[in-house]
Order: sequence, then C-alpha cells, then structure tokens
Amino acid sequence: MTLTDDELVARSMGGDAESFNQLILRWERPIYALAYRVIGREEDARDVCQETFLRAFRALPGFKRQAKFSSWIYRIALNLCRDWIRRQRRAPVMQMPEGVDPGELMADQGPVESIEDLVGRRQLSEVVEEAMALLPEEQRTAIILKEYHGMTFQEIADMQGCPLSTVKTRLYQGLTVLRRHLEKNGRLSSKVEGAMTPRLVKRS
Amino acid sequence: MNETFTCGDHGALMSYLYDECTPAERRAIIAHAAICGACAEELAALGATREQLAAWTPPETQLGFRIVSDTPATVLRPSRWWQSPVPTWAQAAAAALIFTTGVTLGTLRGTPPPPAAQAASTSVAAGGAAVTRADLAALEQRLRAEMTQARPVSQAAAATPAYAQVLERVRAMIDESEQRQRRDLALRTAEMVRDFDAQRNDDLGRIERTLGQMDGTTGAEVVQQRQMLNYLMRVSQRGQ
Repeated sequence: MTLTDDELVARSMGGDAESFNQLILRWERPIYALAYRVIGREEDARDVCQETFLRAFRALPGFKRQAKFSSWIYRIALNLCRDWIRRQRRAPVMQMPEGVDPGELMADQGPVESIEDLVGRRQLSEVVEEAMALLPEEQRTAIILKEYHGMTFQEIADMQGCPLSTVKTRLYQGLTVLRRHLEKNGRLSSKVEGAMTPRLVKRS
Repeated sequence: MNETFTCGDHGALMSYLYDECTPAERRAIIAHAAICGACAEELAALGATREQLAAWTPPETQLGFRIVSDTPATVLRPSRWWQSPVPTWAQAAAAALIFTTGVTLGTLRGTPPPPAAQAASTSVAAGGAAVTRADLAALEQRLRAEMTQARPVSQAAAATPAYAQVLERVRAMIDESEQRQRRDLALRTAEMVRDFDAQRNDDLGRIERTLGQMDGTTGAEVVQQRQMLNYLMRVSQRGQ
C-alpha cells in the first residue's frame, strides 16, 4: 500500500524514521533537479539536496502541516540554493557544470535514440543552460518551478514571496530572453508558426 | 483579466500560455490573436521556446539519502565503494592474494626447461664440471615440492568470498571503463561526422556560388559579343 505524503509525515512525526526515508525516496530526485537547475553544479546540488532533507527532518516537529510537504521542502531547498548563491557571489550557472558525462547521458536514452539525436539534444541542452544562466535568479527560479516542476502561479508566488502578477512578469521577461538567445543560436526560427496551444507540465 | 484582451497584457499572455486562464479569457486571447499578427507571433514564439526548454535535463547522479540516526539527525549519502573503508578481512585477503600470486610467479619462473634445453645446459655444465646431473635432479625435485606447497594456498585464496568480490569489482570496473570509452568514441565520431558534413555543405555552397558567378560573367560576355557582331553587320550593310 502506498501511503500519501501526509500519512508519511504523520508517521515521521511520531518518530518513525523509516517513513521519513520513504518521503526522501519520493522527493529526492525533484529536489536534486531543482537544486541543479538553480545552482548549476552537480556536486553542490547533491549537497543542497542532502541538507534539505536533513533540515526538514530536524524541523519536522515544528511542521504545521498547513502547507503540503512538497511545498515545504521545495521552500527549504530554494532557501539553501539562495544561500549557496550568496556564498558563491557569482552568477551561479555561468560556469560549465561539472561531471557531465556525455556517455552517461547517452546511457540514459533508450535504444531508439540515434547518436545524432543524442548529440543534437546535448547541444540543445547546453544552449538552454547557457540561456538560463543569463537570467536573474528570480526569473530563472520562476521558470524552473513552472516549467520543470509544474507549479501554479500562486504556488510560485508563495514560494518566492511576491505577488502573483510579479510571477507572471518574471516568467514573461525570462521567456523573452530565452527566446532571443535561442533564436540567436539558430535553435528557434524568428518566425514561428503554430504553438498556440498551451502545454501542460506534469510535476516531476 | 476581462473578456477583452489588449496588446501588451503580458500577464494575460502568460496565463494563456500556461493554461491558467478561464475559458472566457482564453476565447478573448484567441480572438485577438486571430486579428493581431504581433501577438499571434509572440505567443507562437514563446510556446516554441517552452518546447525547447524540455531538452535541459540535469545529469544523472547517485542519490539514495537515508536518515540513519535521529540524535543528532544525519543523512548519509550513498558512499561509493572505493571511498568506503576496506574491512580488515578484505585487506588480509588482498594481501594473501598478492602474496600467493608472487609466490606462484616466482615458482613458475623456476620451472625446469624443456628436455632439449636441459640437455644443452647439461652438456655445457658438464664441460665446466661445476654442476652434476644429480644436482639438477635434486633442484627439480625441490622446486616441484615448493610448487605443490604453494598451490593449495593459492586455491584457498581464490576460493574465499573476498577474493571473488575483489575480482568481481575489478571486472565491473574494467567493463564500465570499456563501455564508457566506447560511448565516448561513438559520440566523438558522430560529432566529427557532423562537423565534416557541415564543412562539406559549406564548401559545396561556395563552389555553387562561384560557378553561378562564372556563368553570369560568361553570359554577359556572350551578349556583349553578339551586340558587337550585330553592330558590325549593320555597319557593313550601310556601307554596301
């Protein structure tokens, strides 16, 4: 039987560490992905991920359970990312991410993807990463939460502590910068047709 | 947002793009985009930009954190096997393995030569009268005895689980390394092929342009010559 987050939180608060381990198992990948995209370094993203769950576990007795557990740990992770960025005092994702092994990227793919597709995808991934690095932290975080974690405008506003209209402005400005960068790199035609249908993103 | 949409309402564009608007708002934007080329193009471009973002994936990494103690709480990351401390029994097994391998190699080096070589060496020795056949036979027996003693040790070491484990790890590392090298090679080859194709296409384009220019030049010269010929013919006809 699969327990919900709320049930696992309740058990964890009752002293069942194994239930908390199940929550970690459920959420460590999204938290790692969030941290990686915000700070851009694999090893540091792992550290942030680890620290997120450590802090969550320690703060569990004070968790009011008014917010969702996922929103709570996302907030912890984002705060840690922000601290990391402040500590580094530099544009976080301008540097090349460490330890990106194209072989591993290839190993992740199913047999249907040809080597040419893989190379193309990798190049596109690099261009997107470069473009994201151009954005200010708030815009980048808003886009990451929306695009890769499927949060609503209101959830992002709560997470970032800003009005909902600000979230939309950040998304618009960020997407516009990304669009220009992709066009400049030939990844996007300046005259795009179609794409009028909104795309829904599932929360990872 | 109202049921009407005006250009420059970026918030409404975002609501539409991320499907967080009411049906009435949606209808208003669609109606506006049908008559406003700029807004339609912007929506399409931003939608296409979003499609491209899906390509950005974080590198795979080993996670698997677990709470292992609650006072004070610690989360341990899964340690890589080569970073973990090696248990004493494994160290002893490795030492035994190295030792027995050394002994075996040393013993094998002392294996008696084939009969022909033995005969030759015997004759040389006989010439020098320093080593007798009996000495060599005794040496051979001693070496065989040492080999027999060494063999059970090496067999015992090979049979231990630690030895098998170490062997398994070494094999896994070799396999992993080979796979990685193959993948890297394939990737580099593909990149080279792509670069080569791009260069070839570029060159072909340049050649075609040059040929076109030459054709244009030649055509102009022909026209000029024809005009000159016509002029000469007209002049010669007037003269007649």
